Amino acid sequence: MKENVVSATVFTLLLFLNTCLLNGQLPPGKPEIFKCRSPNKETFTCWWRPGTDGGLPTNYSLTYHREGETLMHECPDYITGGPNSCHFGKQYTSMWRTYIMMVNATNQMGSSFSDELYVDVTYIVQPDPPLELTVEVKQPEDRKPYLWMKWSPPTLIDLKTGWFTLLYEIRLKPEKAAEWETHFAGQQTEFKILSLHPGQKYLVQVRCKPDHGYWSAWSPATFIQIPSDFIMNDTTVWISVAVLSAVICLIIVWAVALKGYSMVTCIFPPVPGPKIKGFDAHLLEKGKSEELLSALGCQDFPPTSDYEDLLVEYLEVDDSEDQHLMSVHSKEHPSQGMKPTYLDPDTDSGRGSCDSPSLLSEKCEEPQANPSTFYDPEVIEKPENPETTHTWDPQCISMEGKIPYFHAGGSKCSTWPLIQHNPRSSYHNITDVCELAVGPADAPATLLDEAGKDALKSSQTIKSREEGKAAQQREVESFHSKTDQDTPWLLPQEKTPFGSAKPLDYVEIHKVNKDGALSLLPKQRENSGQPEKPRAPENSKEYAKVSEVMDNNILVLVPDPHAKNVACFEESAKEAPPSLEQNQAEKDLANFTATPSKCRIQLGGLDYLDPACFTHSFH
Amino acid sequence: MNIKGSPWKGSLLLLLVSNLLLCQNVAPLPVCPGGAARCQVTLRDLFDRAVVLSHYIHNLSSEMFSEFDKRYTHGRGFITRTINSCHTSSLPTPEDKEQAQQINQKDFLSLIVSILRSWNEPLYHLVTEVRGMQEAPEAILSKAVEIEEQTKRLLEGMELIVSQVHPETKENEIYPVWSGLPSLQMADEESRLSAYYNLLHCLRRDSHKIDNYLKLLKCRIIHNNNC
Repeated sequence: MKENVVSATVFTLLLFLNTCLLNGQLPPGKPEIFKCRSPNKETFTCWWRPGTDGGLPTNYSLTYHREGETLMHECPDYITGGPNSCHFGKQYTSMWRTYIMMVNATNQMGSSFSDELYVDVTYIVQPDPPLELTVEVKQPEDRKPYLWMKWSPPTLIDLKTGWFTLLYEIRLKPEKAAEWETHFAGQQTEFKILSLHPGQKYLVQVRCKPDHGYWSAWSPATFIQIPSDFIMNDTTVWISVAVLSAVICLIIVWAVALKGYSMVTCIFPPVPGPKIKGFDAHLLEKGKSEELLSALGCQDFPPTSDYEDLLVEYLEVDDSEDQHLMSVHSKEHPSQGMKPTYLDPDTDSGRGSCDSPSLLSEKCEEPQANPSTFYDPEVIEKPENPETTHTWDPQCISMEGKIPYFHAGGSKCSTWPLIQHNPRSSYHNITDVCELAVGPADAPATLLDEAGKDALKSSQTIKSREEGKAAQQREVESFHSKTDQDTPWLLPQEKTPFGSAKPLDYVEIHKVNKDGALSLLPKQRENSGQPEKPRAPENSKEYAKVSEVMDNNILVLVPDPHAKNVACFEESAKEAPPSLEQNQAEKDLANFTATPSKCRIQLGGLDYLDPACFTHSFH
Repeated sequence: MNIKGSPWKGSLLLLLVSNLLLCQNVAPLPVCPGGAARCQVTLRDLFDRAVVLSHYIHNLSSEMFSEFDKRYTHGRGFITRTINSCHTSSLPTPEDKEQAQQINQKDFLSLIVSILRSWNEPLYHLVTEVRGMQEAPEAILSKAVEIEEQTKRLLEGMELIVSQVHPETKENEIYPVWSGLPSLQMADEESRLSAYYNLLHCLRRDSHKIDNYLKLLKCRIIHNNNC
């Protein structure tokens, strides 16, 4: 019996259980609060997800308590937020305070609680999307057209008191484009778009977010049709800019092509090569060594244009050849005067010594003790009061001492230097001097060096005094003055005579006319019958001083009162230098009535004009 | 007088250099006394600057907390221990808009200044302790250093604003004291992490408070509740 009761009870229970299972009624599953949001920092809503349904009607209740409180509260509003939500109104919402809430699901079978959720309203702020988005195309007359959009903040948000701060963002795209073009708008509620494709339909959206919180959803899209005549001025501007740039580039290229070299040299100036002052490389190439050397050693004696107008040309007679006047006329400076000198061809040193007219001319400018008459009709134009320059004498003496070889007692002073104020000639003088300096003879070379230096010095002094044509004349005159009525005429040597390395010779005074004009001829040995071998002058020579200069550039020579030996100038066969002076010299010769023989003094092959003869002739 | 003469040049140069050197030490523009119209402009600039600073400080605090949580305490329920853990909770700070609008301007400003002052020491210790940690997290440390510096600047600005808006305010040095340093130095890692978590949590909250309060005050004082 008992077994029947027990089995019946078990059967009944199993049946009950089966019935219940078939009905599906269980306690509810565990709900879960999955989201809480506050749209304005004044209210917030939480939503839960219910658990498994027990098959029976389930009640949900949300209970919470806040940080710092112990009292439990229940959700004040289950409806506003929709199903399974809890909405907290303004009076229930507190910022900066943690809410601890949970949901309780109950049904007939039982109840279940969700996990506690710690919520701080501060960090769950997410506003609604902005409202009333309006978009329109604006095309002002004098400005570029643009797309103008405007919106308003969502409702229920307090911006005025500063409780809430909103930031906006807009995006747009052509209808069929894939990518959105997004722009941040900050706190402003309007926006301007400038770059648009005309003739297309655009979609525009806007959203917002709090200063600290989540972005809202995008507002519904607003469509806008861009008119086809939406002119994009940017392209026109860019085209004009490109054309202008091309034109400017062309101009620059053209300028560079024309003046490229000069520009390059301006930017990158050519590196100057080593340059020796006075050294002309071209001369070296051409092989004009005399000019080169002259430039090297005699750079302090630059030729000047002043000398071009001088009339006297340096004539040199080749002693080795026949005794005919071999006037070497350089193109630049026609020689007009002839100096009567005779240089021993054997002594090369004589060329470079004082005997050489050029050197001696320089040197003898200073130390002229012996008078030497010289007549240069053209050089001297005006008479000048001779200055007393006895200073020459000591120099002359010194010079004499320096050149013992060639002179017996200052023979140098007896030479007849011709003054050539031609710049080239002076240049050539230096050349000659330098050439002589490098001549074969050593002793004369040294002397020549000294002579050259002196010549340079004298020429320098001459040059330094004055410039210009008048300077030249004045120089000549100064020569007079310096010589103190001596007439040492400086004779800048021509280049050619020395270049040819011919022995120097002097020109004799052919004759002197009544006007005091000298005609100079190369010494004719045949006529003179003198031995070609030059002999050193026996004694000191003297020069005739120029007493005055007459109008026709005629020098009036007077004998040196201190002169011991009077140099007499001998007439000789005249060889005509192609100049006017020759004619005049011819005449002068014809007029010369002095006794040539008497006047002529043979001194070592040098013939001098005896000033006494002149006086006779003149007076 | 030739201004370009060398002695004048030298004296001008000397003057220029001395001015430049002096200008480096020039203090900010002095506060204008009283409520002149010109002062409103200066007050506006002060408020704008203060709002920028407070906004920046809260951004930094939020990032710092997120990084700390992600790295050390995520999912471990540390948030449960943050209840009533902030030392500034004793201050009567408004918790919603209505309360904020009811509080008067002067008290409001004093409140802000008190909060700022109360955070000087915690921030200092935070930097020191994080720097002394083994494998100190550079991101967190750099932010802590920046927050400390900017908070000092914000405090200076607030004191300027107070002196302008309420010049008669007596200097009130009362502020909540933070005593969480021993917690930061605890040996137990769990407890130490919890202390750091609380500190960063409170910092994030209070920086948000200050930012919100200042924006409220700015609209109230400068724009007359018409932002």
